[in-house]
Amino acid sequence: MHLHPILSTLRRHRTASALIVLEIAVTCAIVSNTVFLVQERLSRMNNSSGVVEDELIVVQLTGIGEKPDAAAATEVDLSALRSIPGVRHVATSNMVPFGNSSWNTSISTIPDDPNTVNSAMYFGSQDLLEVMGLQVTAGRDFAPEEYVTLDDVQSKKAQAPAVIITRGLANRLFPDKPPIGQPLYVLGKNPQTVVGVIEHLARPNEGTGRENAAYAIVLPLLAPYTVTGNYVLRADAKQASQVLTSVDTTLNRIDRGRVIMGRKPFAEIRREYFSQDRSLALLLTGVSIALLVVTAMGIVGLASFWVQQRTRQIGIRRALGASRGDILRYFLLENFILATIGIVLGMALSYGINLWLMKAYQVARLPGTVLPIGAALLWLVGQLAVLGPALRATKISPAIATRAT
Amino acid sequence: MLQMKEVSKVFRTATVETRALRALSLEVDEGQFVAITGPSGSGKTTFLNIAGLLEEFSSGTYMLDGVNVANLDDRARSRLRNEKIGFVFQGFNLIPDLNLFDNVDVPLRYRGMTSGDRRKRIEAALDRVGLAKRMRHFPAELSGGQQQRVAIARAIAGDPKLLLADEPTGNLDSEMAREVMNLLEELNSQGTVLVIVTHDPAIASRAPRNVHIVDGVAADVERKPAAGATTTAS
Repeated sequence: MHLHPILSTLRRHRTASALIVLEIAVTCAIVSNTVFLVQERLSRMNNSSGVVEDELIVVQLTGIGEKPDAAAATEVDLSALRSIPGVRHVATSNMVPFGNSSWNTSISTIPDDPNTVNSAMYFGSQDLLEVMGLQVTAGRDFAPEEYVTLDDVQSKKAQAPAVIITRGLANRLFPDKPPIGQPLYVLGKNPQTVVGVIEHLARPNEGTGRENAAYAIVLPLLAPYTVTGNYVLRADAKQASQVLTSVDTTLNRIDRGRVIMGRKPFAEIRREYFSQDRSLALLLTGVSIALLVVTAMGIVGLASFWVQQRTRQIGIRRALGASRGDILRYFLLENFILATIGIVLGMALSYGINLWLMKAYQVARLPGTVLPIGAALLWLVGQLAVLGPALRATKISPAIATRAT
Repeated sequence: MLQMKEVSKVFRTATVETRALRALSLEVDEGQFVAITGPSGSGKTTFLNIAGLLEEFSSGTYMLDGVNVANLDDRARSRLRNEKIGFVFQGFNLIPDLNLFDNVDVPLRYRGMTSGDRRKRIEAALDRVGLAKRMRHFPAELSGGQQQRVAIARAIAGDPKLLLADEPTGNLDSEMAREVMNLLEELNSQGTVLVIVTHDPAIASRAPRNVHIVDGVAADVERKPAAGATTTAS
């Protein structure tokens, strides 16, 4: 190991060494944070919706003017959509995961509890759970007689007797007891009884905070398409494109006096919902790559300059017994030392930047796993960047030592 | 110690072919002190480079301490150079970023010795040239003569059998030159083979044997062989 003479040499070239260390430190700090932000975005993009995404098609429509017969028309629509070849189940739904538009409610386990929990509130026709592919893992699905209309609930003629909740919400509300049979205050002073638990159903958006992301309930409330705004179709994945093309014709044949605002497979809803995350991840990746390239160029520049400046010194080392391999290792080790100092400083700076991001933008704490990734990247970039100049150095002839200075 | 038979060196460019050495033959035995002289461009430096394994030759054979160097790869040549040869250059060739201790340490590190062994050798070598007390100084803080003494310390720290000196007093005033030559002669008297390339007749006259190189061919010009030693050159 030639650690001592390298350190001695670097001490005599403090300014150039400090500049490259600083460049590496800043790159390490920024790259570590961007790697973390990219990781976070990619992880968010992989968030589970809880529904059978490959098989779902969502149709958004709205009526024009008053539709006094909307409930009956909804039944006709559902029946017609069900008859499209490839469609297995159809339901109305007031919202869908990642659909952005969300019905939220505050719920509690005791009446008039000031410490309520914010939850997404799904409701739709009787096939909704089946359509979305939601498995009841504890308790049961709603019984047909438990369904009431939203109109009757709002006019206090009836009340929803039951509720199904997600596992995340069950764990939050009933950490110490089984949730099935427990009362839940969702719609006023009369409680709904928890009859079932589903593993997961993502909210349409994270507007109320990531801490609430796992909280959703399903109520047995019936409402016409003019209220729910969505038909959700579960179709054979292989026939999804034919189903999509048939939706408009089918609905328009029944009633042309409404607007079909969109029909899209669930994959498209997911893509649209996470488009900003994807763009940001790409942008940050681009910035990181650009920074690494600039740093690599800096290293190449400095290493080339040092090789040129030390041409005679390299020849002398060769004359004194250094092999080509020794010269190559000398420059690689020198770069490794500079990179390591830069990385150590960069790690401290990373945490500083992360603390600022946590305060200013509510970014999560930088996990320890990100720093080894940043460090490995910088080491790799450094070694690759210095390889060219170092290989040029190995070609310097030892005979240069006998030439006049 | 050093046997060259019909060694030639040809430098080729796209348009020019230059013969720096023409079938040069030279033998130098154990314990000898040989001065190599000759006009500029005669091939002295090329001879020194080839003798010191700093440059490869075009044809002929070269045995260094019984090793045929012709077919050695870079690693083996570097190892042989490191173990058998010590260099003293006209321009000292110390590394300015390293102090005296670290400068003398350079060839020893390439030999893979332990730090304890290296330290003993460095201190002994610097002590021998009278600079042990200045081992933490940098070359720029020394006079030319002192720098050349450090270069000699570096050359002898590894205990080489052959010392190759290229105009070792060329950059020194006469007092310092005498000092350096005394040191080199002392080393030779202790058994180290000394080959000096020089322009200076005064230096050459101190050598028992002079070899003159002209147009890439070597010839003995004066014979003052040491007891028991045999020399030939052509």
